[in-house]
Amino acid sequence: MGSERLKNFINGEWVDSESTEYGEVRNPARDTLLCHVPMSTKAEVDRAVQAAKNAFPEWRNTPPVSRARCLHRLRELLEENFDELSRVQTTEHGKTIDESRGETRRGIEMVEVATGIPSLMLGYNLEDIATDIDEYCIYQPLGVFGHLAPFNFPFMVPLWYLPFAIATGNTFITKPSPRDPMSQVELFKLLDDAGIPPGVVNLVHGAADVANYLLDHPDIKGITFVGSTAVGKLIYKKCGETGKRVIAQCGAKNYLVILPDVDLDSAIPSLMTSFFGNTGQRCLSGANAVVVGDSDTFYKRFVDEFVEAASKIRVGDGLDETVQMGPLQTLESKKRVIGFIEKGIEAGAELLLDGRELNLVGDVPETCFLNPTVFGNVTPSMTIGKEEIFGPVANIMRAGDLEETIEMIHSNPYGNAASIYTSSGKLARKFQHDVMCGNIGVNIGIVAPMAFFPFGGMKDSFFGTLHGQGRDAIRFFTESKVVIQRWF
Amino acid sequence: MQLNTASAVIRFATEVEEKSAKFYDDCAKRHREIAETFLSFVRENKKNVTFVKRAYYGVISDALEACFSFEGLKTDEFLFKAEFDEKAHLSDILEMSLQMEDKIQKFYQKAGESSEKLLADVPRALKKIADKRKERKNELASLLDEIR
Repeated sequence: MGSERLKNFINGEWVDSESTEYGEVRNPARDTLLCHVPMSTKAEVDRAVQAAKNAFPEWRNTPPVSRARCLHRLRELLEENFDELSRVQTTEHGKTIDESRGETRRGIEMVEVATGIPSLMLGYNLEDIATDIDEYCIYQPLGVFGHLAPFNFPFMVPLWYLPFAIATGNTFITKPSPRDPMSQVELFKLLDDAGIPPGVVNLVHGAADVANYLLDHPDIKGITFVGSTAVGKLIYKKCGETGKRVIAQCGAKNYLVILPDVDLDSAIPSLMTSFFGNTGQRCLSGANAVVVGDSDTFYKRFVDEFVEAASKIRVGDGLDETVQMGPLQTLESKKRVIGFIEKGIEAGAELLLDGRELNLVGDVPETCFLNPTVFGNVTPSMTIGKEEIFGPVANIMRAGDLEETIEMIHSNPYGNAASIYTSSGKLARKFQHDVMCGNIGVNIGIVAPMAFFPFGGMKDSFFGTLHGQGRDAIRFFTESKVVIQRWF
Repeated sequence: MQLNTASAVIRFATEVEEKSAKFYDDCAKRHREIAETFLSFVRENKKNVTFVKRAYYGVISDALEACFSFEGLKTDEFLFKAEFDEKAHLSDILEMSLQMEDKIQKFYQKAGESSEKLLADVPRALKKIADKRKERKNELASLLDEIR
């Protein structure tokens, strides 16, 4: 398999790239080569856009019920291939098989919600806005949309958009992350099998160049992106200049707030998932745990239990079902995280658990692995306290009360997610009311909205107007048109 | 071996059901007078696998604590013997069945309890099978009483 070259999917055909430049796709747990991915050319992007543009008129005229039936068939195929799809994700990304299955399930949920398009896309009307005059609003697709996918959820994230885009009658081009594009290839095989007409969905491999070709292309009506804030800002700006709609879901530094009245035994597994799930490589990961209150006893108990739980996490190849945390996705990612750990030590944070001291399950190469790291006495001004690490590093902070905690959260430029762990409904309500983040959790570690709710952050975590998923996605992928009608 | 992830628990549950199903299948061939009882256990075991897998695959999510929900479960506690001697009497086999079912029930009960705050449908499925195993134990105990 290692020598295989991935193909693009353009106009319903799997085609070899004409590019001479290829990247490697590696299994980070085994440090083995999986396949080669092309850095597609501008001409190939043009062909994909042209195919999507050509397919649009017929697809938008396909009744929503028929479009939904294609998605129903896709859903069935996804269920039939559930475990194989999940295994591919673990192999290319490194996450555990439970996490990959969770990712597959979330992806399927998006398809399920989009199958409701005949209801979701309904407009509305009002008789007699003036005598004998009626007015109604209808929603219509716009044309070709592009998606720039991240590496951290290679299968699921493109499905935050693709099902909604095509259900509403648009056509779509996905550019997977060149680091882990294989599960998208598997998805597109199923899209093809589901009978989606040629050109409606297209897959073009590549890196930044391909992203730029899509961003510059005049026939693309909108871009969806998930990735870093730095890139998200550039994309937002570029889409503004070229008149494209944009959803840019970006970086995060999520606070998890621990009040002394919490049921700590229940909270610890949730916190482990939040900080170390997906090896900390997700925009909803916990980053800073703030222990609230003056009680040194509670602080010590929290630290002891947190560190003990983190130290027990089994790290190894995610295909081993006893493993709880996989490797970082690349060696570069690992080096980056180690850089943050060193900065934390330099800044005077207390290194309570050093993930650089490897303790791995099974016979795996150390290349991309880190064990969980926990810092104590972290402040919001330290680099590790304010910048996104995107790895298995947890910072423990202290705050006198909830007000001070909320100020800490607001002092950070990101606003993706924040959670409070408490038994107090009153304080939980204050938290959800006051905190400026797009996703608020109450005793929830990963505040991932279901497919029928919108998903997006605030501040530097999101650029755009409408969010992904749910009704927001329907609005994003459609133009509202108002008709005012009188008959003489 | 420690069972600390949802996938490991589901795999172990599947293995337990398949192993005990094979045992009851052999029992049915050996003791045709109560073959239907044993075969009903085989059928129920198959349903249990479907039930628990459906629960797991239905709710598994990247946001739930699937990797951190089952601390403290060790397979050693739930291992059982599932082969009987050629010369074994029906009462010996029923005794073995009771011991096996006891281990299996304990596994499901403990797995269900340890995850009940974290995973929605999975602990419910596990506990439901634990209840079924309890009923099966009663049925086996009655059979044993009858032949003694």
